Amino acid sequence: MAKKLMKGCEAIGEAAIQAGCRLFFGYPITPQNEIPEYMSARLPQVGGTFVQAESEVAAINMLYGAAGAGCRAFTSSSSPGISLMMEGISYIAGAELPVVLVNIMRGGPGLGGILPSQSDYFQATKGGGHGDYRLLVLAPSTVQEAADLMIDAFDMADQYRNPVMILGDGLIGQMMEPVEFKRGIKPEDLPHKSWATTGAKGRKPNIINSLHLNPEELERHNWDLYKKYQQMQKEVRHDTYNTGENVDVLIVAYGTVARIARTAIDSLTPKGHKVGLFRPITLYPFPSEALIAAAQKAKKVLVAELSTGQMVEDVRSHIAHLRPVDFYGRAGGMVMGAEELADRVEKLIAG
Amino acid sequence: MPKPIIEKDRCKGCELCISACPEKVLALSQEINAKGYFFPVIVQPDACTGCRYCLIMCPDTAIQVENKGKTTARSVALTQKPFSYCPGCTHGVIHRLVAEAIEGLGVQDRTVGIAPVGCSVLAYEFFACDMQQASHGRAMAVATGIKRGRPDLTVFTYQGDGDLASIGMAETVHAANRGEKITVIFVNNAIYGMTGGQMAPTTLPGQVASTCPTGRDVKLAGYPIRVVELLKELKTPAYLTRVSVHDPKAILAAKKSIRKAFEYQLKGTCFSLVEVLSTCPTNWGQTPKEACDWLKDNMIPYYPIREFKIPEAEEGDAHVQ
Amino acid sequence: MYNEIVMAGFGGQGVLLIGKLLAYAGMKSGLEVTWMPSYGPEMRGGTCNCTVVLSDRQIGSPISQHPHGLIVLNLPSLDKFENSVRKDGVIIVNTSLINRMPHRTDITAVPVPSNEVALEAGSNKAANMVALGAFLGATGLLEMTSIREVLEETFAAKPKLISINHACLSKGYEIGLARKPAQAAQ
Repeated sequence: MAKKLMKGCEAIGEAAIQAGCRLFFGYPITPQNEIPEYMSARLPQVGGTFVQAESEVAAINMLYGAAGAGCRAFTSSSSPGISLMMEGISYIAGAELPVVLVNIMRGGPGLGGILPSQSDYFQATKGGGHGDYRLLVLAPSTVQEAADLMIDAFDMADQYRNPVMILGDGLIGQMMEPVEFKRGIKPEDLPHKSWATTGAKGRKPNIINSLHLNPEELERHNWDLYKKYQQMQKEVRHDTYNTGENVDVLIVAYGTVARIARTAIDSLTPKGHKVGLFRPITLYPFPSEALIAAAQKAKKVLVAELSTGQMVEDVRSHIAHLRPVDFYGRAGGMVMGAEELADRVEKLIAG
Repeated sequence: MPKPIIEKDRCKGCELCISACPEKVLALSQEINAKGYFFPVIVQPDACTGCRYCLIMCPDTAIQVENKGKTTARSVALTQKPFSYCPGCTHGVIHRLVAEAIEGLGVQDRTVGIAPVGCSVLAYEFFACDMQQASHGRAMAVATGIKRGRPDLTVFTYQGDGDLASIGMAETVHAANRGEKITVIFVNNAIYGMTGGQMAPTTLPGQVASTCPTGRDVKLAGYPIRVVELLKELKTPAYLTRVSVHDPKAILAAKKSIRKAFEYQLKGTCFSLVEVLSTCPTNWGQTPKEACDWLKDNMIPYYPIREFKIPEAEEGDAHVQ
Repeated sequence: MYNEIVMAGFGGQGVLLIGKLLAYAGMKSGLEVTWMPSYGPEMRGGTCNCTVVLSDRQIGSPISQHPHGLIVLNLPSLDKFENSVRKDGVIIVNTSLINRMPHRTDITAVPVPSNEVALEAGSNKAANMVALGAFLGATGLLEMTSIREVLEETFAAKPKLISINHACLSKGYEIGLARKPAQAAQ
């Protein structure tokens, strides 16, 4: 397929189609409306179904039902809507259902604003809803990567029977870039899900459930989930830029901010500054070993985020004993400029 | 001689005043105002009869009328801030009617309003009374908390169709069924405006929206919800009515209903709700005048304008406390 | 080659569209491209803008603090963005709706009466195309053939609009070319 110029939201929608997903449930919220809009036009063309739910609460439970019935399905929303889905996400994690969730983050808390933000990192990576569970969290930084990760997300969800979240922000969702769909999956080629509620013909009934009243049984379930999350560690992914040699400063950033960091690095290199970028692609599991290796080649580390400091806590937990970790954040929908970030790096080098 | 007084920098050039004037007193200027809009100017001063239709129709409170030495004034229950709505959006008319009811009943200093999520999310900037902003769909739950905690306050919610009839339907039904002594202003414009024109629970069959690009298919999305008719089946709610703001006569009738809804609350009568049919020129893809005509021709046949439930008719009934 | 361009005007003037055409033509010319619209609350009846980045290598930030090029179709946009433009940058000023030229002397300012030129060509809507043509004339950033190609693809469903948009692009291009600085920002 030739390259097309697409908005991030549209590319995410098309990637779901390419992943063999034929079901979408969602509710309008800015800045991700182009996803449901795209799906409402595109799904009927491929024999799929689009449902505009009456709320995010309904959407996530539609997803629970569809995934429990063995269908590939996804929903998308933005921060306040994702908060509303948290109860359902916890049930989905508890019942071990494979679903894909897209959060195109905006500023919060509360109704907040509609401009790009990365302030849902804690919510995405630490659980978000109640109970001892984790999502697999993927953070694209280009439209192409959003599309690629979206397709991977469906496979990972099926493989681990776990919810997978694509964590983007308003900039990733609204920006247009060339995108190419390299991999197409036909729904009929997807593996059979023996655990799904597809009708108990010729087998004993399947039950989709997250209730375990017997504490021994629930504890066993919790440790089984834990083991699964440990297995998910092998999915860690990251990217680096300009980290071939020892650097003065290693910037750690994900998604949109990682791109801004690239531009900042390009402006610092001609000045003789050695600055590298470490970009986690999986936020959970966090690529800690690779980060430690990269940090050891850096004099100082700067974490940059569109929040008042969330991922920085994970970075510090892994490398605070090795290197000084500084933080630079913008919040509330304010996006840092490349020059602003470069200034901060220069100050750090000087100071 | 009566004459309209135009505050040109409040104007968004929707031209609804021009089409509302039965005597063709107004026409569009050749110059633009500070906001970049062409505004109305008086071209036939002698023709003005002082009917106030221009004032009544203006969604931006940009017109007052001088007649027999008296000049109308903008309601003090509105702040001075210009409305954030698109040109020709009738939210502004409904804001004015609500403010006039609050002012007219003398309760401005003991009223609390609840702003929803949707186009009117910024309502807290426009009403000059205490306001709370609620999460999407939960305005009536918030109102319940206020009214139960402070029964002496006059409490109203101002909600759109997505907020009240989609995500907030559970709160709507239960607040009505508990008979919360609140006043609900339900603005139905058959679309999600703020998010850019998605299908609403009240989008008409066949009506195009960005999430039903070939028109609402009732086989997939069901028929639009008639909220007032639905609530009428509950025994508790006291005052349920539907009005419209597509022309000056309809607006004058809407004004009476909105005032009544507040009066019932002040009398201690239970739950009152006024559904107001409203326009969305931007997302309907129409001029403001076309949108008013479209409302009249398409919405009113599906959403009939009348009182569905009035307290007097059921006086002595168990639900009236 | 690395170029950041900001286009700005009232909603409805078509700045997002000319941004898309520029990005699309850049992609067809083998460049890396990004297109980023403003989507804030100013969208409703206010100003809107977009940023296009064209580069021969992977693009980092899709937003621009200091663009190389600026196309402004209304006065609030000139007021907002004039000072952000890089030294030796190019500003296309729609003089039909803007009653002043930039105060800056370290940039090339190109006055283009876009609305009048479009009207002469028979369109009351294609002032944006005139401005885009002028920008390409003044900067030589992309070949006109690539813009023409994507224009035809974009308007494939409305073939009646193609010739008038071509005409507006050409007229703008001539105005821009006449003002092309000695070393156009590349």
